[in-house]
Amino acid sequence: MTKQTAYEKPIPLKTPDNHEYWDAADRHELKLQKCAACRTFIHPPGPACPTCGSPETEWELLGSDISATVYSYIVSYRPFLPGFQYELPTVITVAALDAAPDVKIMANIIECDPEVVEIGMPLKMTWVDVTDDRALPQWVLNRG
Amino acid sequence: MATYSNQCAIVGVGENQRSRKSGTTPLHMALTAARNALEDAGLEAKDLDGIMNYSTGGDSCPSHELATYLGCHPKYVKDISGGGSSTELLIADAVALIEAGMLETVLIYRSMNGSSGVQVGRGYDPNMLQEMLPGGSFIMPYGSASPSQWFGMFANRHMHETGITKEHLGHVCISFYEHAQRNPNAFLNGKPLDMETYLATPDISMPFNIHDCCVELDEANAIIVTSAANAKNCKSKPVFIAGMAPRTTHSHVHYWTQVDEVAADHAAAELYKSAGVKPEDIQVASIYDCFSWVVLRQLESYGFAKRGEVGDFVAAGNIKMGGSLPSNTAGGMLSEGYTHGMNNVLELVRQLRHDYKGTERQVKDCELGIATGWAGPDIAGAMILRN
Repeated sequence: MTKQTAYEKPIPLKTPDNHEYWDAADRHELKLQKCAACRTFIHPPGPACPTCGSPETEWELLGSDISATVYSYIVSYRPFLPGFQYELPTVITVAALDAAPDVKIMANIIECDPEVVEIGMPLKMTWVDVTDDRALPQWVLNRG
Repeated sequence: MATYSNQCAIVGVGENQRSRKSGTTPLHMALTAARNALEDAGLEAKDLDGIMNYSTGGDSCPSHELATYLGCHPKYVKDISGGGSSTELLIADAVALIEAGMLETVLIYRSMNGSSGVQVGRGYDPNMLQEMLPGGSFIMPYGSASPSQWFGMFANRHMHETGITKEHLGHVCISFYEHAQRNPNAFLNGKPLDMETYLATPDISMPFNIHDCCVELDEANAIIVTSAANAKNCKSKPVFIAGMAPRTTHSHVHYWTQVDEVAADHAAAELYKSAGVKPEDIQVASIYDCFSWVVLRQLESYGFAKRGEVGDFVAAGNIKMGGSLPSNTAGGMLSEGYTHGMNNVLELVRQLRHDYKGTERQVKDCELGIATGWAGPDIAGAMILRN
């Protein structure tokens, strides 16, 4: 059963290493990989811990109430991928999670005037349903 | 092996005519560059016992093919996937093989239809990136597919932390464009840039406008490395390889997770140790310049200005002719052309040979130079050359 979708942007490709993250995203939740040995979060998820090299990893559910701050960002005025031509300029950020500042998650800041974005600005995670069964984590400004 | 100790030298450099549309294949362009480098060195194709090249996504021609149509059959050919800092890496490999006694004379080339063929700056195929890069699915869905966007993320954080401004980026562009006006082979020769025009140019990916991005063209470059002993038999003035940091890495392959760190930070100490010199000894530079900010970040990494003072360093004219570190004196990749770093090395060799003596393009009496390579924040290499 395939259904034609109007969504033209790339949809995250699930792999053996990352599907727990994207499966949780589809349920509008954030789940992060964690090293069972040194206890550091691993993002993006991978086959082992980049901090200590341990292959023993596990997953931790952080839920749906996720706050962060803008660590860096860019404003992109040209579309380099399909689908982005409709929403220019595009704001892309790497945001540091308040609960774990070493974890930086890249996403767009949506519904936001690019002129107001600053490093250090508070963000809140939201999930956008892009197809019937897929959802994409995004950031919005956290107005408290 | 403690140091490179000047046991090998670059004895020949050559290129083809750069253009927006070569109308020919990378093989034809590589042959022209290789023949010019051989002519420059006073060598014949049969003198080459090694040929190496780097390419991105199969945009070049294989070394064996080049060898065949040069009319030689070297005992060692190597083709690697690479980009910025691959010039330094392959030169380091050539030096190691020559010092090990396996080879005597190696030709290294880069040939690419970077304008009429594949343009890196316009992004890569999204499915390819998601499938090839294990972390691609964490950036592609958000529209991040161009190096201008990837490196811009580092630039904005670094500018925020160090006080570098858009004007400082402009000084890098204006300095190199000024150099291009003295180089008839620079693509932007005849097109100088002033600050007013620069600042009025809209951004592509903040903080970069078109002037902050290198000029992607159809180009081929070649370099010949041989032993110091054999260099005496060449007609050119040898430029000795005094030290190297071949290709150093960022702590994470998904380097966007740590935008405070760049691989160039790790390359510098190894480089200066291997050459036994300090930043203040360097008289002329070729700083990898795919984007203007990349120059500023590397000036910090390689110790030419302190963190927080790099913007003032370029604003004071230090990277222009007559400054303390004339850099990218042919115009660099921002205004001469983009051959993935190799054209900047060609210019450094010519400066150290004093090829421009008697003209205002020559950095007077320069003896020691640095070439830096930057594949991205993730991978960097550098070398120190002396005459």
